[in-house]
Amino acid sequence: MADAGEEEATSVSEPLDLVRLSLDEIVFVKLRGDRELKGRLHAYDSHCNVVLGDVEETIYTIEEDEEGEETVKTIKKQSEMLFVRGDSVVLISPQAPS
Amino acid sequence: MSFFGFDTTLPRDEPRSGKSKGIFEAQDPFAQVRQARKLQAFQDTQEEPLEFDDTYDGLGDKLEEAGDDFNDDTFGGGVEAGTISKGQISKDFDFFGQTAQVSSAIEEEQLRYNLQQQPKASTTTAQTTAQKPKKTGYEKYQDPGYIPEIQAKSSVWGTKPQARNQEEQPERISTASSGAPPAKRMMSLEAVEAAMRAQSQPVPPPQQVLAPDHTQNLYQQSVPMRQYASPDLQQHPMATQPQPQPTKPIQYHQRNASKQEAIKPAQHPIQILQNPNRAQHSPQPSQDRGTIQDTQPSRPSQATPTIPVITHPQQLMQLSEEQRKAYLEEDARRAKRNHKIFLLSKGNGLMTPQDKNFITRIQLQQLVTATGNSGDADPEATLAEDFYYQVYSQIRGAPRQHPTQPLGHFAQTYLLQTGGRLNNRRQAVNGDNHMQRMQQQVQRAVEAAKLKPKNKQLIIEGSLGKISFSNAKTPKPLLNIKRPESTDSKPATGKKANAEVRSSDRKSVLRNLETVYQDLMQLEDHERQMPPPPTAGDVEAAQTHMEWRQKTQVLNSKLWRDLKVLEPIVPGSTVPHPFIAFLSFAKGKKSIPRIFRHIDQEQRVTILTMIVVHLDQLDVISRAQIAPGESHPPPLVREEIELFSQVVMPCLLGYVSEAPINIIIGLLGLVLDHTTVLTVAKTKIGLGILTMLLSRAELVKESGDVNDEDWQQWTTLYDRLFDTLEPVLGALFPGPVNTSDDMYIWQFLAAVGIGASPEQQQRLVLGVKDRVMETVMQSRTLPADMSSQRLSNVNLFMRAIGLDVELLG
Repeated sequence: MADAGEEEATSVSEPLDLVRLSLDEIVFVKLRGDRELKGRLHAYDSHCNVVLGDVEETIYTIEEDEEGEETVKTIKKQSEMLFVRGDSVVLISPQAPS
Repeated sequence: MSFFGFDTTLPRDEPRSGKSKGIFEAQDPFAQVRQARKLQAFQDTQEEPLEFDDTYDGLGDKLEEAGDDFNDDTFGGGVEAGTISKGQISKDFDFFGQTAQVSSAIEEEQLRYNLQQQPKASTTTAQTTAQKPKKTGYEKYQDPGYIPEIQAKSSVWGTKPQARNQEEQPERISTASSGAPPAKRMMSLEAVEAAMRAQSQPVPPPQQVLAPDHTQNLYQQSVPMRQYASPDLQQHPMATQPQPQPTKPIQYHQRNASKQEAIKPAQHPIQILQNPNRAQHSPQPSQDRGTIQDTQPSRPSQATPTIPVITHPQQLMQLSEEQRKAYLEEDARRAKRNHKIFLLSKGNGLMTPQDKNFITRIQLQQLVTATGNSGDADPEATLAEDFYYQVYSQIRGAPRQHPTQPLGHFAQTYLLQTGGRLNNRRQAVNGDNHMQRMQQQVQRAVEAAKLKPKNKQLIIEGSLGKISFSNAKTPKPLLNIKRPESTDSKPATGKKANAEVRSSDRKSVLRNLETVYQDLMQLEDHERQMPPPPTAGDVEAAQTHMEWRQKTQVLNSKLWRDLKVLEPIVPGSTVPHPFIAFLSFAKGKKSIPRIFRHIDQEQRVTILTMIVVHLDQLDVISRAQIAPGESHPPPLVREEIELFSQVVMPCLLGYVSEAPINIIIGLLGLVLDHTTVLTVAKTKIGLGILTMLLSRAELVKESGDVNDEDWQQWTTLYDRLFDTLEPVLGALFPGPVNTSDDMYIWQFLAAVGIGASPEQQQRLVLGVKDRVMETVMQSRTLPADMSSQRLSNVNLFMRAIGLDVELLG
C-alpha cells in the first residue's frame, strides 16, 4: 500500500483496529431497520461503510394476524457482494465460523 | 358623454365619475381608440369614460346666444315639436333614435364583410367604420340577433370597452390587468341592484336563477350564452352583468389557475379546447375577444387555408359542418401538441449559463486533480494518486509501463478512450474533430492548473487560524487528531511482552496476521522504490542502493519476526504453533505467496519444514478428517483445502521441486517422526505433500546425482512409510467408489508405486486391488467422457507399476 507510513498500525489503538482484525473473516453486522448481515468482510472505512461478500441478510418483520397476535417473520436474502453504507450499521461482530 | 358636449351622465352614474379614470388614466394608450369610438358611445349613451366637465372648455358659455331666432326654421325642430321648450330639447335630444338606425346598418355591413373576409375580421371592421380606426374588440356585436338597446347596455357595458382596450395591449394580457378596470367602479352589489331596480327593468325569473350561476362562471360565458339565448332573454344577461363584475377578477383568476378544464354548463366546446393554449400563453381573461386571439402566435399561422381563422366562437357556428369538424380536430391536435411541448420544455432554462459553467469547472477541476501535479518532484505523491490503477495496470501490463510515467497522460488516456468509444458507437464525421478540440482544451486546462501554484492553506494576515482548502484527493480534514507517538509505542511494547507469552488465541493470531500484512505492504512499497542499480563509478548511487538494501533487510527481518515461524516448538502443547495458527486463516494462506516473494531460500525451507513438522496440526489436515459415513469434509473446510492447494501448495512445490535429496530425506523423516502419518495420509493436502516428496526423490534419483549413502537413507524412510501405510491403503479413499474426486489418491499411489521394490509393488497392488476393480467396473456404467477420466486416473497408478487397465479386460 502506498500509505505504509505507520509503524505500529496493527496495535489496537482505536476501535476500528478491532474491525481490521476481522478483515477477510466472517462477520455479523447488525443494521438499523431490523436487519442483520452475515458475511465475509472485504473492506471497511472510518464511516463503517462495509463491503461484504457471500452475505446472508436477515430481515425481521412483525406481522399482525387477525387476532392481533404479533408474529416475527424473517426474510432471508443471499447476496454475492454487498456494500453497506455506514450510517445504518449498528454493530460489527466477529463471527467464528461454526 | 362628451361627443357633443352634452352631459348625459345619469344620476346613478355620478358616483363613479370622480374616480372613473383609475390607474390607467395617467398614460392611457388607448385614448385615441376611445376617441375614435365616440360614435359607438352614442349607442351606449350613458357609458362614457370622459366626463363633460373634463373636456368642456367653457367656450359654450361665451357663445353669442343671440341671432338664433331662425333656428326653428333652419332645423325644423320647432315646427314639428313646437311645444317643446329649449330646455327640453337639451334633455331629450333625440339623437340616438336616428343614429341607432345608422349604426345598426353599419353593423350589418360589417357582418357581411366579415363573412367574406374572415381572417381579417377585426381589422377590416375597423376600416369599414371610419369611426373605428383600431380594433375595438366589438366584433361580437356583429351578432345578427344583436339589438343595440341603449337602456340595457347603459350600465352593463359601462366599463367593459375600457377593460377591453387595456387588454388589447399585448403586454397587458394578464389577469391582473384585466382585473384592474373593474376596480374603477367599485359598486357594491346592493348599489348595483339598486341601480337596476331604478332602471325598472323587469327581470324574468329564469334569468335570475341563471345569474348567480354565472357569477361563478367565466366572465366570457355570458357571450356564448347570449348567442343561444332567445331574443327575449338577450337583454338580461347584459342587464345582470354588473353583478358579477366586482367579484369577477378574483374568480376568474382562481378558475384560471386551478380548474380550467372544468366543464361549465354553458361553456362552448371551443373554450375547453382552447384552454391548454391559454395555459401556455399568458392567461387570457376572455377568449371571445378576437383581438386578443390575434396575439396568440400559433393560431392564425396554423390554421389550414380551408379553415378560416376563428377569432370568435360565433364564427365557428357559421362554418359548415365539415369545416367546423376539421377546425375542432385541428384545434384539438394543436392543443395536444402544445401541451406536449409544454411538458417537454418543463425543465428548460432551469440552469443558467452560469450554472452550466460552474458544473463544467467542477468537472475540469476533477480531471486536473485526478491527473495530479506530475511536475511534483515526489514520485510517491503521484503514485498515491491512483495507486490501485497503477498496480493493476502493472499487473496487467497495461500501456503505462512504469509508475514514473507522467500522470498527465492519464487525462489523455481517459479522453482518448472515451473519444474512441464515442466514435465507434456512432460514426460521426466531426466527432473526431470535436474530441480533439476537447482534448486540447482539457490539456490546456491541466497545464494551466499545473502552472498555478497550489496553496493548500490560506493564512490571512492578522488572523489566528488558517483556512485549508480541500480537493478530491485531500479532503479537508474536519478532525486533526495527532496520534501521540510516545503513548502509542509504549503500551504496544508492553502488549508485545504479553504476547511473547505465546498466545495463539484467535485475536492475537488475527493481530499477527495484520502485522504481517502491514510488513508485506511496507516491503512491497519499498521494493517499488528500488533505486536503479549503481554504475561503476557512481558512488552516490551505490550509496543509495546500499541504503535501500539495508532497509529491505530490516523490513525482511521484521516480517520474519512477525511471521513467528521460529517460535519455539512446544511438543505436546495443546495450543498450535503461532505460524500454524496463522495458516489456519484464509488470509494467512493467501499471504504465503506474497511472503515467498520476499524471503530467501533458507527462510523458505524453514517455512516448509515448519509446515511439514506440524502437518497433522494444519487445519486443512486436522479438520479434514472425514467423519464415518461421510465422503466429504464440511464445506467450509473444503473451501480452506481448496485455497491451500491453490495458494500454498504451489509455493511449497516450487521449492521442493528444486530441493536437493537431503532436504527431501529430512522432510520425510520429520513427517514420519513428528506426525501421525495415518492422519496425514487420509487427507488431500497430506497426501499431496507426501506425493510431492516421493516424486521429487524419484526425479532426483533418476537424474543420477544421488550418492549411495543418501539413497540408503531414503530407502529406509520409504520402507517405513510403506509399512505404515500398507494396512490402510484401501482406507485412503474417502468414500465409496462413486466419489469422483480421487485423482490425488491415485497420484499418490503412483508416486509410491514408482519408488517401490517389486515386492512392495505386489503388496501395493494387493492393497488397492479391490478399489481398482470397483472403479473399472463402475466406469463401464458411466458416460464415455467420465468413464475415460476415471480410468485414466487409475491408469496413473497402474502404469507406475507397469500395468494398464486395459490388461484388466
